[in-house]
Amino acid sequence: MYIPDVELHESESLEHAAALLERFGEAARVLAGGTDVLVDLKTGRTNTAHLVSINRISSLRDVSLERAADGAITGLRIGALTTIRQLDSSSHLRERFAPLRDATREMASAQVRNLATVGGNIASAVPCADLPPILMVMRASLILWSQAGQREVMLEDFFVGPRRTILRSGELLVGIRVPTPPADFGAAYSRFSLREGNAIAVAGVAAALRLTHDGDISNARIALGAVAPTPTLVKAAGAAMCGRAADAETFEPAARAAMRAAAPISDVRGSAEYRRQLVGVLTNRALRRALERARASQERASSGGSELGRQL
Amino acid sequence: MTVVRTLTVNGQKQRVAVEPWETLLDVLREKMNLTGSKKACNVGDCGACTVLVDGEPMNGCLLLAAQLEGRSITTVEGLAQQRHGTAELTPLQQAFVHEGAIQCGFCTPGMVLAATALLNRNPDPAPADIADALAGNLCRCTGYSGIRRAIQRCANYREDGTCAAKCAAAEGHEGTDGHEGGKARRRARESNEGTVFAAGDVGDEPRISDVKSEIHAAAPPRRFSTVGVSMPRVGAADKVTGRALYTADIKLPNMIHGKILGSRIAHGIIKRIDTSKAAKLEGVLAVITGADVPETPYGVSPARYDEHVLAKHKVRHAGDPVAAVAAIDERTAEAAIDLIEVEYEKLPALLDPFEAVAEGAPLIHDQYPRNINTHVEQNFGDVEKAFAESHYVREETFTGNHIYQCPLEPHAAIACWDHDGTLVLYTSTQVPHYVQYTVAHVFHMPLGKIRVIRPAVGGGFGGKAAACPLDLCAAILARKTGRPVKMVYSREEMFHYGRGRHKQHMRFKLGVDRDGRIRAFKSEIYLDGGAYSSFGVATAYYAGSMIPTLYNIPNYRYDGYRVMTNKPAAGAMRGHGVPQPRFAFECLLTMMADDLGIDPIEIRRRNSMRPDTRTVNDLDVGSCEFDATLEAVARKSGWYDKYGKLPPGRGIGIGAGGFVSGAGYCIYRGQVQLSHEKPREHFQKRSIFPHANAVVRITEDGMAAILMIGAAEIGQGSDTILVQCCAEALGIPPQRVRMYSGDSDISPLDLGAYSSRVTLMAGHAVSRAGWDVVEKMKPYAAAMLGCAAEEVFARDGRFYSRRDEGTKARSHEGISDEATKRQGDEGLVAVSHKDEGVVWEEVARRYFNDNGPLVGTGCYKPPEGLGGDFKGATVGTSPAYSFGSAVCEASVDLETGKVRIERFTDFHDCGTPINPLAVHGQVEGAIVMSAGETIMEDVQFDEQGRILNPNLHGYLMMSIKDAPEIFSGLVDSYEPRGPFGAKEIGEGSTLPVLGAVAHAIANATGVWIKDLPITPEKILRALREKSAAKRGAELVETCEVGAE
Repeated sequence: MYIPDVELHESESLEHAAALLERFGEAARVLAGGTDVLVDLKTGRTNTAHLVSINRISSLRDVSLERAADGAITGLRIGALTTIRQLDSSSHLRERFAPLRDATREMASAQVRNLATVGGNIASAVPCADLPPILMVMRASLILWSQAGQREVMLEDFFVGPRRTILRSGELLVGIRVPTPPADFGAAYSRFSLREGNAIAVAGVAAALRLTHDGDISNARIALGAVAPTPTLVKAAGAAMCGRAADAETFEPAARAAMRAAAPISDVRGSAEYRRQLVGVLTNRALRRALERARASQERASSGGSELGRQL
Repeated sequence: MTVVRTLTVNGQKQRVAVEPWETLLDVLREKMNLTGSKKACNVGDCGACTVLVDGEPMNGCLLLAAQLEGRSITTVEGLAQQRHGTAELTPLQQAFVHEGAIQCGFCTPGMVLAATALLNRNPDPAPADIADALAGNLCRCTGYSGIRRAIQRCANYREDGTCAAKCAAAEGHEGTDGHEGGKARRRARESNEGTVFAAGDVGDEPRISDVKSEIHAAAPPRRFSTVGVSMPRVGAADKVTGRALYTADIKLPNMIHGKILGSRIAHGIIKRIDTSKAAKLEGVLAVITGADVPETPYGVSPARYDEHVLAKHKVRHAGDPVAAVAAIDERTAEAAIDLIEVEYEKLPALLDPFEAVAEGAPLIHDQYPRNINTHVEQNFGDVEKAFAESHYVREETFTGNHIYQCPLEPHAAIACWDHDGTLVLYTSTQVPHYVQYTVAHVFHMPLGKIRVIRPAVGGGFGGKAAACPLDLCAAILARKTGRPVKMVYSREEMFHYGRGRHKQHMRFKLGVDRDGRIRAFKSEIYLDGGAYSSFGVATAYYAGSMIPTLYNIPNYRYDGYRVMTNKPAAGAMRGHGVPQPRFAFECLLTMMADDLGIDPIEIRRRNSMRPDTRTVNDLDVGSCEFDATLEAVARKSGWYDKYGKLPPGRGIGIGAGGFVSGAGYCIYRGQVQLSHEKPREHFQKRSIFPHANAVVRITEDGMAAILMIGAAEIGQGSDTILVQCCAEALGIPPQRVRMYSGDSDISPLDLGAYSSRVTLMAGHAVSRAGWDVVEKMKPYAAAMLGCAAEEVFARDGRFYSRRDEGTKARSHEGISDEATKRQGDEGLVAVSHKDEGVVWEEVARRYFNDNGPLVGTGCYKPPEGLGGDFKGATVGTSPAYSFGSAVCEASVDLETGKVRIERFTDFHDCGTPINPLAVHGQVEGAIVMSAGETIMEDVQFDEQGRILNPNLHGYLMMSIKDAPEIFSGLVDSYEPRGPFGAKEIGEGSTLPVLGAVAHAIANATGVWIKDLPITPEKILRALREKSAAKRGAELVETCEVGAE
């Protein structure tokens, strides 16, 4: 239960970190919050010999709003080193970005939330991570940096398998961009765990809806966590809801589509069959909550945008 | 590569050389001697290592020290001094002490730090804020109730100390004033029936009081001064400041570290062990295997010694100890373990008792045919005839789960050998004497050459009730290297060592008459024993013997089979053998009540045990207020307004249970002597030697009493209870008693903390030792008071003369209650004459001037002749029995099956409590532990017999967010065989819980889940099966109707 011999490299800049990662290749892992990698090292799950710390690159530890030339808020930018706690308590996580709090609020424990980073929750590519599903339905993209330059990919295209991503050697996840949702948008994340406090998700479902003026669904997205090798965007489930009324008759087939899309395993937390059932229930719940929020948001918008900034 | 970092720890800048792989936790503990931060899981699951980094709580085990340059770190050691510049406790720390937030204390430092950070950020946290802030800090003892109270008391704290009034008074938390007054019905069973004692109403203590007030300042006049007072725990201040030393916190000069290699496979023959690579590793000092350990097998029950220190040629479960290493540090020892090569010949792993008893199954031990380790066959009355005569008979099968004690503190031991050949063993144990006995047995050493030191123990619950491989390996490695050897289990190794609750497979059949009165009960149980006997013989008997103590069962048959399997040995866990059968029995009784249309509480009252009864299996029940507990929970919970009237998804359930107040007989036969030298022992129906023994020495100035007894404080509070009993007997305030219970060289033998025996047995021993002192002082007091020796008594630090008080000496003839005989009833009178008499210490000084040391001794033997004359009749015997009832209210999410335990209402008959705060603490802890046991705890195995969840994120203990609101109440009771009328609470408090939870879930869902744990998945499956069956039935009905 001790960390074996590792070299700890403090990188002072992205360039430095990238160079180190490139140099050590498979033998290196990024050290940010450390809540995954240090446990992996203690339990012998990894034979990492080099830890490349990016903790001194303080520019990555930031939550900010992105604005267009006219001052309109175009999105939320989350630095990869932002801790879960920082994100959860950020004043920017109000109103339209508030659904992220469904994931940040109860993740792990207060102690772990103070350590664990948003970037780590994504880049570790653990199937049961809580942030990816809600970020996916909010159309988040990732900013990947390497010496060769920067690229931006949609989060749903990032994961390859359990603990595997499209990150290339020497490439780092530096930030997450969440576009400002329109006023007719609502999203929610419903998770199920066997314990109320400090528990790993057995299944998690995020849903997002956009509504027409008539209240029908103009667009929908559903993403799953903990029930497939990677966090998964269920495109079919979302697409099937477009143009339909926002009610149980629409939600139920979507929930069934989500259940079909799930590829869960059986483990100590539950059987594959049970997880699949949970996906159905959680999809319905996430959709209902997303709908409430979309309607509330629409209402606020129609009663004048001045309400913006109030807690949802 | 070693680097030097400047860390600011508790306000002081320190330069420290750290390795890149070193965690902050290890640096604090090993390099800075700040051992208040505890290592309990090492992977961020439990919060025991919580420290504040720049004011925010973080897991010390998940931080690399090398990354903390310039950061400000606060550990528990820094709290008190930071606040006041001295070691004065912070208001929060004081609140932890006074609200019973501290039991074993192992989670306390992390808990206090997490709560400190919360209050700094949010001075007035709502209950939900508290739960969220502490969800990462697991506690196994308190049920989180005292912790919540402590934090709420500090909400809005102001420097003038007027903080708490708001939440204490306004919110009026239930459970904080739980003791029920009611009519005093003190009985003196063995004397004149109906004698009524002066009813000092011990329950009126305000549980939440002002921070700075003395907790017993407002105590009303009462029969006793100290007994019955909710005194804060002895040692709590040490635990809340991180000063208390647990075994793993202790460092001896020249100490080295050991580690054990466990088997990778569950069953097999060791073909070859190659330790050469390990031995060559730099820093390794010794490597041992089965060839280096004594041939003598050991265990718990002398008739079934079947373990070796390290496997001799066969491994019987994954994790079975195979080899051990000593090295300069633990990390090197761990690395060396990985270099040991073991070649096995695999044998089929038997993981199920039914598979293991099958004809032709391989034998796990040659000496247990069919792998049956213990077979119990008990038959009282004529069960079959009674079934035939019953109005209603129902048979059901139930299955238990693999529960593990999970004390927050992992087992630890340090062994060193003195130059004269004395072994000094520091160990985290509940039973120092049995450790001593086992070590003596294995090494063929006299007990007198073994000194067992029990430092602070971070919880046991039965898991630390026997010598463990760490004790024995550390001793061997220390002998081999000539240096002190420390060994500590990791959390994973704890699971592999095992000794948790037996998983029981139960087939129960119950017959009742038309009114629901029990006619007959038949029980067949297969206990999954795991790979060794451990406590299992007793477990198999307890599983049967405790059933008839609660209800009147005229005809009873029990067949028990404890079967060996290739899993870690099951042992004794809180409620030893009884919780699962009790769960099953309670469920079955409730099912039948519902079938018959009788209210489930009513059916219990119709069958409830009455005082002064000899049960069908020859157990002598003395005091018994079981019926009062049933009546009280029904009233307090609003049962009759709720049962059968709640909407779907909400349920209420009842469960009951009781337990022994100490086992009537010792685990081994004969006298205290090296077992190899004993003649063949024949069982005698009496205890050969006293089970509890105490010495009290008064310091020469008379100002302090030194109490010495080997009773093991493991977090349950026994030190405090025993100090109270001793102070009461001596007639001095408890603050003047100092307790030494942790060193077998200092304190005389006590059998330890198991079978809920300490309050009753050790309580007697210490009070007798106190009275012995007082007897010696009486002539001196009498001379000073100018009266006869028999006319003096001691109370509140003075001696008084009965004659001078103008009180008639009362006749105690015919009253066998010991406290009354010794002290009389005059205490009540004496309170009003405080300024008279002579001071206690002056009397003590005069005694010393004439006679030298003022020492008193006391001992306790259980009554002779306990139990019947059939095989196994001793198991379940006890001087006294506790009783309790609990009502659980739960909600169930009918879509996911998830259960939320909302509320518990519990009433117990624990006799007259010595310390109500401690009693409520045991109840609150038991409810949360057992509720978790019912719905979420389960050690799971793969098909190879390897544990799938040997950690605290896979094995789920309830967090503060899961813990229900608890009302703990006590009914008036008085046990003449107990000290000051007291009985047990620690184990009995677990027993009503499982059945109550199961019933509440059944009541909420309409489906009974009969195998534990009652997980959401099982509930959902049962609901689906039920609705499918219903649809099927409707279909059939439709077809039948159609066919007509």
